[in-house]
Amino acid sequence: MSAVQLLLVEDNELNRDMLSRRLKRAGFEALIAEDGAKALASIESERPALVLLDMNLPVMDGWSVCRAVRAKPELAHTPIIALTAHAMAEDRDRALEAGCDDYATKPIDFPALLEKIARLLER
Amino acid sequence: MNDKPRSGDAEAQETDLQSALATPDIRIGLQLAVMEITALSASELPALDDDAQQDWSALVACAANIAPLLEEEIADNHELRNLAGALRGYAEMLSESASNPGAALASVIARVLEGTGEPVLSGASASSETIEPIPGLTGEPGFILAVDDREENRELLARYLTRSGHFVVTAPGGAEALEMLANADVDVVLLDRMMPGMDGREVLRRIKAEPKLRATPVIMISGEQDMQGIIECIEAGADDYLFKPFNPVLLQARIKAGIERKQWHDREQLYRDQLERNERFIRATFGRYLSDDIVTEILERPEGLELGGDLREVTIMMSDIRGFTTISEQLPPDRVVSMLNRYLGAMTDIIMEYGGTIDEFLGDAILAVFGAPRRHDDDPDRAARCALAMQAAMAEINTANRNDGLPELEMGIALNTGNVIAGNIGSERRSKYGFVGHAMNVTSRIEDVARGGEILIAESTRQALGAAYALGPSREVQAPGLDEPLTVHPLEQELL
Repeated sequence: MSAVQLLLVEDNELNRDMLSRRLKRAGFEALIAEDGAKALASIESERPALVLLDMNLPVMDGWSVCRAVRAKPELAHTPIIALTAHAMAEDRDRALEAGCDDYATKPIDFPALLEKIARLLER
Repeated sequence: MNDKPRSGDAEAQETDLQSALATPDIRIGLQLAVMEITALSASELPALDDDAQQDWSALVACAANIAPLLEEEIADNHELRNLAGALRGYAEMLSESASNPGAALASVIARVLEGTGEPVLSGASASSETIEPIPGLTGEPGFILAVDDREENRELLARYLTRSGHFVVTAPGGAEALEMLANADVDVVLLDRMMPGMDGREVLRRIKAEPKLRATPVIMISGEQDMQGIIECIEAGADDYLFKPFNPVLLQARIKAGIERKQWHDREQLYRDQLERNERFIRATFGRYLSDDIVTEILERPEGLELGGDLREVTIMMSDIRGFTTISEQLPPDRVVSMLNRYLGAMTDIIMEYGGTIDEFLGDAILAVFGAPRRHDDDPDRAARCALAMQAAMAEINTANRNDGLPELEMGIALNTGNVIAGNIGSERRSKYGFVGHAMNVTSRIEDVARGGEILIAESTRQALGAAYALGPSREVQAPGLDEPLTVHPLEQELL
């Protein structure tokens, strides 16, 4: 059985590298996208099992990506975890409003993130 | 998005201040973390597993990316937080992947976690109870002294550290802390910097000024995140520091590193004590027949203890008192011993002064060697001058003997130069640095025919002498094992 495929959307290179490495270490296959437009394209073509979505993205921000995904019936079921900056409570609330299933604040508490991923994948 | 409330509104200003206090400048923590990573990356690390090695390389690369941003005057806090997140992520990965990180790496991991974490507010300390220790960051239990003026802090520290397996004592102030330190062997001191009365820095200064306490690691706990304060404490000898309110996991890592430091020091001390005992033993053993400087030389050479046998040319000296057996039979034993000690004491001093090695005393006879274990270019001359000095010293000994009502003594000396085997000779139970060889027997034979007051030197010694000496008429001596008789010369004085 191949590894569960996740899409990590994050514009910061260092953070993206670190998180993707960490996800691989945890047994996932991590696709990456560095902006919202590429993220949407990747979700459509690759159909990842789950999306980790940074909200502050170039080209197309995370909220727009989330709304776009939810608007397409064939993609709407894709679980999305918003990655939001710490101390930005309104970002978090807006992410949930836009249709994200859950959120994780940065700096990421990785074990907690793995739990959230597991919970959403079980559904 | 990053808009802050505009000033001018008192309420908004207050909120601004509160949020500033709650989220202290991330740059300080990040700066410290980057500094420590860079420092450790320049030194050699213990071997890490593949994953851990990758994580460490990534951490170093990440720190290198962050360093230039920290130089910038105006920091993009959003960007810095992102980078801090990446740095922290790698540190967390490393703490999971490194099965045996070693104290230095564990300390750096802890520093990164501490420097990149969101501040833990005092009220949140209860949640610390659920934090599991990071594997590899816990270590041997230690005896820890926690010094804090606030009772709730002392209780929190004691509770947490006790649960981690440490033995904890607490002190409410500097004076009490010093009192405890004087009476107990503490592994690590956790020292609050701000205390009424004697503050943490003064306690630190006193600990580091006391030779018996100096090696005890001190971890400062500071409520202020100011670089200057940290630097002052480190300059004053603090081994580590933690910001308040501290993260219990970091505290544990720091304590582990401190305990390891202390244990290294204790082991080193033990080793030093052993060396000192060995040295005392060697001095006591060798000191009786080698002069102090030779013993020191042997001790300074790493191979000093292995005075393995080697064949070398030496000048052998044998001396004894003519007719001593007869003399001693006519005196009470205690008088014999005191007379002998006066004579042997004076001769020992002279032989050592000239760099000879006393091999042994046989009653009134002295066997000494010039040229081993330490070789000099002029060993035969040293032996000759030593013999002349010994004969000259007899006048003084005899004056003292006369005053004590003791008989006057006459000494004969033989010198012979030849090859001997020098080394530690004997069994495992009893051995000594000594000499064997035919040349020793020949010397003894010459000694037999030396008259009172005479110095007889073998032909081999005469040829080896560098300086000019007045010699008396030569004689021939029949030596055992030799077909040819030996030619010997009475040595009278050095010609200057």
